Amino acid sequence: MSETTIGNITANNPGLPLAGLDLTGSDETSVMSVDERDTLQEMMNIAFGRAAASLAEVISIFVCLSVPCVQFLRGRMLAAYLEQVVGPGREISIVEENFWGKLQGSAFLVFPSGAGNQLVPLFGDEETLYEGEAREEVERDALLTTGSILIGACVGKLAELLGDRVSYSPAKLVAKRPGESIPTLQCDPEAIAIVLKTDFSFREESVEGFLFLVTSEQSIDWLKQALADFLAQYEG
Amino acid sequence: MAKTLQTVLIVDDSPISRKMLKSCFPKDRGLEFHEAGDGQQGLDLYKQLRPDLVTMDLTMPVMDGVTALVEIRAFDPQATVIVCTADVQEKSLQEVNEKGAFMILPKPPNKASVLEALAKVEEAG
Repeated sequence: MSETTIGNITANNPGLPLAGLDLTGSDETSVMSVDERDTLQEMMNIAFGRAAASLAEVISIFVCLSVPCVQFLRGRMLAAYLEQVVGPGREISIVEENFWGKLQGSAFLVFPSGAGNQLVPLFGDEETLYEGEAREEVERDALLTTGSILIGACVGKLAELLGDRVSYSPAKLVAKRPGESIPTLQCDPEAIAIVLKTDFSFREESVEGFLFLVTSEQSIDWLKQALADFLAQYEG
Repeated sequence: MAKTLQTVLIVDDSPISRKMLKSCFPKDRGLEFHEAGDGQQGLDLYKQLRPDLVTMDLTMPVMDGVTALVEIRAFDPQATVIVCTADVQEKSLQEVNEKGAFMILPKPPNKASVLEALAKVEEAG
């Protein structure tokens, strides 16, 4: 079995913010306190853990988790951030879903190109799955299904921990080929976006990728209050 | 004979997670807490302090929780290690059980789940 990877995404300090990007052009700590940021990171950890368990209930797979990271970026930096995370000249597939609630934003699950082919056997007998169907469609379905389970369970758990409930847009799959730019996110270039990123790999299939959530600046005040409410139950 | 807990070592890379877990322990027991930020620190502190109870996160830098659990149990087969984790996949839980975890405490913890865990540890002696 060939090993498919996206550059050195996970080898490059998985849980740490990327170096070399001037993220906000201002002091990051002015957006959130260290405690707020740690709490959000821990919530993402819990949420992705639940998402992995949800996926394992549907398909026989073991998801290796990593320490998530939280960063604050100006909207205009998101494309550069993605290019740096993915690495230049890589062909990738991105499952994208938007979510709305008090917490709102977009979730992106980034897979290496070819991951669909490796995921299909996990959904059942390959011969049956491919029968009468275009190969690309079956692989696309496998990616979309995997992506929407991980995104839905992760965002849902995060919202639940924050005392919120969100609704989702249908998942869509976007391909990026070498030389193309990553689809630009619909984000005010001057607004501060919160980026929650977690790397993962599937032990059985040597597929690795990452999930990141981008929430809007409008969510920040609400988010800070929700984090305070969450922490209040652990005080006293 | 029921075990009386006096010292607890919390191993987790997240400072806020350590605070949250610590706050869930009963205040009237006079428990003495120690903290470690990764598996290696946890192992070193275990060897130094021999705490009555260890809580161990799994996903950590430097040394992960599974490795630290195995190393602690190799050093002291009687060590009581509760795995407190967000990784609630069946295979992860099975793996840590096989490697000697006393029990699993899913994150986020709360006072009731911690009290229940303490009762189990004490009953087990």
